[in-house]
Amino acid sequence: MTAKRWLWASYAVALILLLVLPHAIGVMTRELIGRIFILAVFGMSYDILRGYTGIINLGHAAFFGGGTYIAGIMFTRLGTSASASLLAVALAWAFAVILALVMGQFAFRNTGAGGVLACAMITLAFGEIVRHTAETFRQFTQGADGLTFAVPVIFRDRIGMYYYALLFLVVMTLLLRQFINSPAGRVLQAIRDNEQRARFLGYDVRKYKLLALVTAALAASSAGFMFALLTRFANTDLLSVQNTLNALLFTIVGGTGTLYGAIVGTAFVQLVQSYLLELRGIHEIFARWQIFFGAIYVLVVLYMPLGMVGAFLRIKGSLAYWRTSGGNHTRAGD
Amino acid sequence: MHIFVMLLVNGLAEGALIFLMAAGLSVILGLVGVVNFAHGTMFIWGGYMSIWVYRLTGSFPLALLAALATGLIMGVVFERFFVKPVYGKVTSQILITLGLMIIFTDLVRLLWGPNPIPMVRPPLLDGTWVFGQVIIARYRVFLIAVGLFVAVGINYLINKTRIGMVMRAGIQSPEMVQALGINIKLYFAAVFAGGAGLAALGGALYAPLVGSVWSGMGIDNQILAFIVVILGGMGSFYGSAVGSILIGLTSAFTAWFFPPLTAYSTLLIMVVVLSLKPEGLFGLAVRK
Repeated sequence: MTAKRWLWASYAVALILLLVLPHAIGVMTRELIGRIFILAVFGMSYDILRGYTGIINLGHAAFFGGGTYIAGIMFTRLGTSASASLLAVALAWAFAVILALVMGQFAFRNTGAGGVLACAMITLAFGEIVRHTAETFRQFTQGADGLTFAVPVIFRDRIGMYYYALLFLVVMTLLLRQFINSPAGRVLQAIRDNEQRARFLGYDVRKYKLLALVTAALAASSAGFMFALLTRFANTDLLSVQNTLNALLFTIVGGTGTLYGAIVGTAFVQLVQSYLLELRGIHEIFARWQIFFGAIYVLVVLYMPLGMVGAFLRIKGSLAYWRTSGGNHTRAGD
Repeated sequence: MHIFVMLLVNGLAEGALIFLMAAGLSVILGLVGVVNFAHGTMFIWGGYMSIWVYRLTGSFPLALLAALATGLIMGVVFERFFVKPVYGKVTSQILITLGLMIIFTDLVRLLWGPNPIPMVRPPLLDGTWVFGQVIIARYRVFLIAVGLFVAVGINYLINKTRIGMVMRAGIQSPEMVQALGINIKLYFAAVFAGGAGLAALGGALYAPLVGSVWSGMGIDNQILAFIVVILGGMGSFYGSAVGSILIGLTSAFTAWFFPPLTAYSTLLIMVVVLSLKPEGLFGLAVRK
């Protein structure tokens, strides 16, 4: 009981710190942290797929970038009135659901190890098609130059936007946690652990995978929409494989299958990235931070498959086990 | 009619190029059960290395050899240090090869700059043949010849040689082959490197066709190769050959008749094939 009380106390302290923070730090840091809040939701949406269902979706950026672009295009075409904003949100969600259903229809046909590969390859193709579409319809998206747009008045205050981003992160974390702890979420984890067994138990595996994809797509698209409000800019990089890999890296560094890991991972990766970009003046290799990004990525997959939060939970679990068992036994299978 | 013949040649030439990538992917998938998501990166490196050597020596065959060697070396290194530790773990394989894709694509930008580099066709293969109304670029005929040569060569290797026999046995039961005293791991590595070499060769042949190389060309062609592998049936060599021709012809014909649809037509073909035949044209389920 006391442990739980400590946990709540630390949550409360963290929240208060985050609430006071924007008044204590510089503009650049505030922007960076706001960005981390929103990208963390993108990372968590990927964890629903990779960590809780065992799917690798290489077209996930299409949902995030789709949300950003729909916000941008609607704000430029219809203005920033409340009704236009609501319509934009509705459109972003509709786009996410429809694309997820179409993508999943073809990506989840095969099962087993071949299924994971086929899914990765097919989603990659769908994601690239969305990026290609954005590059083709230049009259709406401005192509590779990028689309700059105005946002509704209530989102124009920078400190206010920081709080909206924080609120968004808290609400989405609670919602996604609710989802993974729901009966459907439990089935998804059963599919991840043993797809065949889940099917033999009578679950329609494809339907559950579709559900996971639609949920993740909605979360990613919402994050993309918030990103639009924060940056007021969209370009086709947001739709690229690189952006999908960003989300993958967030979850892998933080720890897949932990949900909160994505938040830690996003913060870590974003902070490292901004630090490396500051070193640009020393040597031009730092401007190509993607090389470091790829290297971190490969090293984490090879040597730290649990990620930060995963490793932390593992150590905590082992400690608890040692305490209860008096440290006399070794765990079976270890 | 003359347009039909020209599009046929264009389509087959494009198919031959896609085949160089798809064949490697498909054979690796069939034998080793790995999809190399850095396959397109070999393609880029092949393209850049061939231009570099071509400018140094002025010899096109040497440029192609350099590309092939680059692909082989990268294949060996990738396999030995990054893919081997995660054999049997599909998710980790995908993630690691994606990481390599990021690193080596960006290395190209670091070494050669972010802008496209122009490449000319070698004089011997430049120019066209004219038969009445039909105009055929020599280089495209050359590509078709290379594609045919590689297809026949791989087919011979798989079906008529001892190496191919071991490979086919390895697809069936790697443990049994290993128990017979054959180092199947070495075959895995060789197949992986061979596939990488073919992809790099593809990149070197692609550059003179479109007139330049750029760092984004890898992912575009990799996706075409993936579509071919999926619609041909994962791991099927014949499927990748038929799929390449199908995709090559589809994009050549849509590029002529409905230009805006070119990028979508290949995906559409895949969607149609998968709807009718979920396991692909020559689908044999991937066992590993």
